[in-house]
Amino acid sequence: MKQTTLLDYKERMLRVLVFIQQNLDEKLDIEELAEIACFSMYHFHRMFRGMLGESIREYIRRLRLERAASRLKHSDMQIVSIALEAGYESHEAFTRAFKVLGGVAPSEFRERNGTMGQLPATSGVHYHETEPPSDFIPVVSGGESMEIKFEVLEPMRVAFVRHVGPYSECGEAWDKVTTELGSKGLIDSQAKFVGLCHDDPEVTPPQKVRYDACVTVDRNFVPEGEMGVQEIEGGEYAVVTHFGAYGKFGETYAKLLGEWLPRSGRALRTAPCLEVYLNDPEGTDPEDLLTDIYAPLEPR
Amino acid sequence: MPEKIDLFKQLKREDYKAPKNPEFVTVKKGKYLAIEGRGAPDGEEFSAKIGAVYSVAYTVKMTRKYNGGQDYVVGKLEAQWWGDDGSDDFSNLPADNWRYRLMMRTPDFVGTDELEKAIAALLEKGKDPAIKEVALVEDHEGDCVQMLHVGPYNQESATIEKMKAYAKDRGRAFGGRHHEIYISDPRRVPPERLKTILRMPLD
Repeated sequence: MKQTTLLDYKERMLRVLVFIQQNLDEKLDIEELAEIACFSMYHFHRMFRGMLGESIREYIRRLRLERAASRLKHSDMQIVSIALEAGYESHEAFTRAFKVLGGVAPSEFRERNGTMGQLPATSGVHYHETEPPSDFIPVVSGGESMEIKFEVLEPMRVAFVRHVGPYSECGEAWDKVTTELGSKGLIDSQAKFVGLCHDDPEVTPPQKVRYDACVTVDRNFVPEGEMGVQEIEGGEYAVVTHFGAYGKFGETYAKLLGEWLPRSGRALRTAPCLEVYLNDPEGTDPEDLLTDIYAPLEPR
Repeated sequence: MPEKIDLFKQLKREDYKAPKNPEFVTVKKGKYLAIEGRGAPDGEEFSAKIGAVYSVAYTVKMTRKYNGGQDYVVGKLEAQWWGDDGSDDFSNLPADNWRYRLMMRTPDFVGTDELEKAIAALLEKGKDPAIKEVALVEDHEGDCVQMLHVGPYNQESATIEKMKAYAKDRGRAFGGRHHEIYISDPRRVPPERLKTILRMPLD
């Protein structure tokens, strides 16, 4: 029986970092990066953010800017070309971004032969012209010791309404599914309210995020109208309670998938995480909201 | 459509005031969805009754919303406690002799017809029969002393003593059922951080 260790996770993530560095000029498709590391698309981005301390997009952007700094310092490449290479379509946009990195405009940086060239990064990984990264420092911010429960779920039959659009606007789908079911006497205190997010709101463009607002129903339920029925996979899940606003799930996911998981000896199934909402967001202050986040585990 | 009604928020400085030290409040006449029971709050009956009042409260609200009626926020869970010998002070009685009424404040425009419809819909779908004990009641507690209790439910007595002393110093005495308004969710919030508004009606 093979245990997935922190070393495995780091080694797989490192493959992605090496690939990024060697392909900084490419489009760098996130799905492709997930494949390189053999991580499920459902979880890859959150694991990346959780382990590296920045999102993939932020990471790539930072490395491209660090490369630009290196070009300014060590080459005679035209600034316009450097800007283009770093992925900026205009001189102005590049200058703005570069100022954040170098503190000065690119031209001034070159004249002064500036010494800056690296943006702060907790992972310790920076652009290097010839050497791809060989190691990184995984984030440790308390997630490694977070309180996790293991729960084996029976498959759950749920009625749902799909929302496609910004995650923060899924309330309409909830209104539909709860009023439709509630008015038929189908919601009692045993009902579970589950959010199933098929895309990561931090990577997928907001207009395309697919989210299912789900309420548990029994076998006899027949859906009507916009509602559908699906079965949520049973099996073992790692469960953590998120305390507070829904807008801050990202932090809990990062801790769970980036800090706890790599040290847990476990791996994730190719299935979305579940959000089980425990209280009524209408009558509850955001800081008092309670949500159980379920991460689907591969059998040992 | 007028804005959603949230009684708890509207009455935050009045009926639902939660001061750190005892204060007098005058609680207005109000409607509640309610169900009565007997026994300890950690018993099976108590959880079943909580389930019943929640099921009905949400079904009434969702049905109203579905039909385009005035929407509102479902109230917090509240409970009145007393002894089955009729006494207001039940603290010396064994838990089996405790009586309670679970309540959820509900806007005045919610009618008995809506309650009956909700109960019928839930029963038709085979939900817990305790649901049919839920009633729509009126209560008018009037002058009360009120205070926020932070901590486990079984450590309320110190807070109650403070409230009693406050009333006594001002020439008033307790006279009515001990009333709790549950702000926190005991399923996840650790006991030392549980917030409960305690209310004692005055003579």
